[in-house]
Amino acid sequence: MSRAAILHGGRRAGSTAAALLAALALGIAPAHADRSGARHATAVVASTGESLYRSICQGCHMPDGRGAAGAGLYPALAGDAALASTEFVALTLLQGRRNMPAFGGPPDPDPFFNPNPPALNDEQIAAVVNYVRTHFGNRFKGSISAAQVQALRASLPAR
Amino acid sequence: MREPGPIGAMTRRELLAMIGRTAGGAAMYQAMAGLGLAPETSYAGPVQLDAAPPGASVLVLGAGIAGMVAALELRDAGYRVQVLEYNARPGGRNWTLRGGDRYTELGGDAQECRFDPGLYINPGPWRLPYHHYGMLSYCKRLGVALEPFNQINYNAYLHNSKAFGGKPQRLRTVRADYHGHVAELLAKVVRQGVLEQSVSAEDRERLLESLRAWGALDKDFRYVQGPESSDRRGWAVHPGGGLSGTPVPSEPVALSELLRSNLWTALMMGDVYDMQPSIFQPVGGMGRVGEAFGRELGGLIRYNARVIRIDQDERGVSVTYEDAAAGNARQTARADWCVCTIPLSILGQIPIQVGGPMLEAIAACPYAAAVKVGLQFKRRFWEEDEQIYGGITYTDLPIETIGYPNHGFFGSGKGVLLGAYCFGPDATAFTAMAPEERVAKAVEYGAEIHPQYAAEFDSGVAVAWHRSPFTMGCFGNWSEAARAQHFRALCEIDGRIVLAGEHASDLPAWQEGALTSALDAIQRLHRRALAAGAKA
Repeated sequence: MSRAAILHGGRRAGSTAAALLAALALGIAPAHADRSGARHATAVVASTGESLYRSICQGCHMPDGRGAAGAGLYPALAGDAALASTEFVALTLLQGRRNMPAFGGPPDPDPFFNPNPPALNDEQIAAVVNYVRTHFGNRFKGSISAAQVQALRASLPAR
Repeated sequence: MREPGPIGAMTRRELLAMIGRTAGGAAMYQAMAGLGLAPETSYAGPVQLDAAPPGASVLVLGAGIAGMVAALELRDAGYRVQVLEYNARPGGRNWTLRGGDRYTELGGDAQECRFDPGLYINPGPWRLPYHHYGMLSYCKRLGVALEPFNQINYNAYLHNSKAFGGKPQRLRTVRADYHGHVAELLAKVVRQGVLEQSVSAEDRERLLESLRAWGALDKDFRYVQGPESSDRRGWAVHPGGGLSGTPVPSEPVALSELLRSNLWTALMMGDVYDMQPSIFQPVGGMGRVGEAFGRELGGLIRYNARVIRIDQDERGVSVTYEDAAAGNARQTARADWCVCTIPLSILGQIPIQVGGPMLEAIAACPYAAAVKVGLQFKRRFWEEDEQIYGGITYTDLPIETIGYPNHGFFGSGKGVLLGAYCFGPDATAFTAMAPEERVAKAVEYGAEIHPQYAAEFDSGVAVAWHRSPFTMGCFGNWSEAARAQHFRALCEIDGRIVLAGEHASDLPAWQEGALTSALDAIQRLHRRALAAGAKA
């Protein structure tokens, strides 16, 4: 268990159930049980790019995709030329970028307390990439498939 | 451990004072640890800096706990100190929301806290464990009054929406039944002689007696409905006076049901080192600490200052900032040295003239999500109806936590609960909601535990830390691998700049981590300043 974890005092009973309920509350289908039987605290299973954006991404990038500015910035996705590359967006989701956490998992095995962000699978990553590149006024060509995300994921160094 | 008392002709106090005077705080601390007086921590007592080089100056970035500890000690050592702070108030994440406070989050959603006088929530840290010596010591120095924080309340709940028909269980009964069943099982095994290899014949009887005492077993080493178990888990009819006071024992929950409920997972919360009693909170809210530091530092802090650039050369440090109180006019502050406590989530976006290793370290730390929701109710129903006085309920619902106020007990007016305190995926989902939706969801989920919510709810306020304009996240969530790779480079002095904060500590997310990080940084910086000599 990560130390940061317990410190803040968030350990609790049965967070798998919590994750499921959070997912249900947001209209996302519940997670499948992990095949290995391992504790699976953070899985959010298949959903559309839009529902994933609304339940995760807009927390920082805002509902209109225009980001926000305070002491620092959350970059706008609307009109961001970097989104021209499907791989750039997919890698950012998989690995995180600076203060942005990684959404590529693996799910936190700690059933009591989980400070890490939701872990998205290949289909979900592809759905989010394709969504942000074609909304908020963005009209970038092309798309990425789950298989391509899987290949990208496989090319990454182990974390 | 030796008994307290004289050591030879000197008292311990005299001995420690002598060591402190001659060898410094760190040596005194080691001596204390050797005498069994202090467990391991990095707070080594009040920091002792010699006089600063004449005319030397330090710029401190950020007026949170780390920045203000650094500023106070450097000022006292004789440095000319200036602090630049983004917010219009001191404290940073040390912060309390009270009635009348306004908070505008990133994205522009503004909330006004409508709590009654004396009621509050702490959106950030809310407890001070007894071994966070640094925080407790500064509270004493600054006159911040402390009161007990109840981490453990045997009458608060553990709740799994999918167990016991969704009915919350008292911590008291879950704890008693878990210990009782485990003790009974172990006693059975011991009596069957299965543990002969591990337990000697003479220890066997002692172990059995200890299991009976620990688990509240009956004379036959069974955990069953009866006076022994009810003395732990509570009675069906409580003992009382006269003819109506005959007690009736309560019935323990079966082991299998208890195990399947998963509620045992939260039993060890109060056994975790940072959660063990005694724990304290400032009277009036955690923000009293930051406010006290702010008063102490007075005009040294420049508020509404948004740092946009940090440069250094062989002569000093130059920081460019926008003054929000003056139409975002660009200003430059200069000093010989700089202690930068800006969260890495923001520092990573500010051009800063440091070497590659520190830049890589700054960029290597994602920030964890956390959300707190404060809910005001028309009455303190948790006390009046459920006899819950302070402490915490843990639940599998996305709110994760309900915190009951540890002050104002038995008050007849309104009361404020911490209606949600969540992390990770739950916090991410709450962050993506508008503030009023977070409050509504916290009320909806909490009503599964306290049905009174529906009738008694009054108003609420919700803080999602990734929407905080001054931190953009809750705390530096170092992975073990990234910490191993970058932590040293993050903390080492780069030219004339040193970083401090909870992100530069092995006690992330705790104020004590920020504080000890600042003391560690300024002691190293001070040595470097002395070596560089007068007016460098």
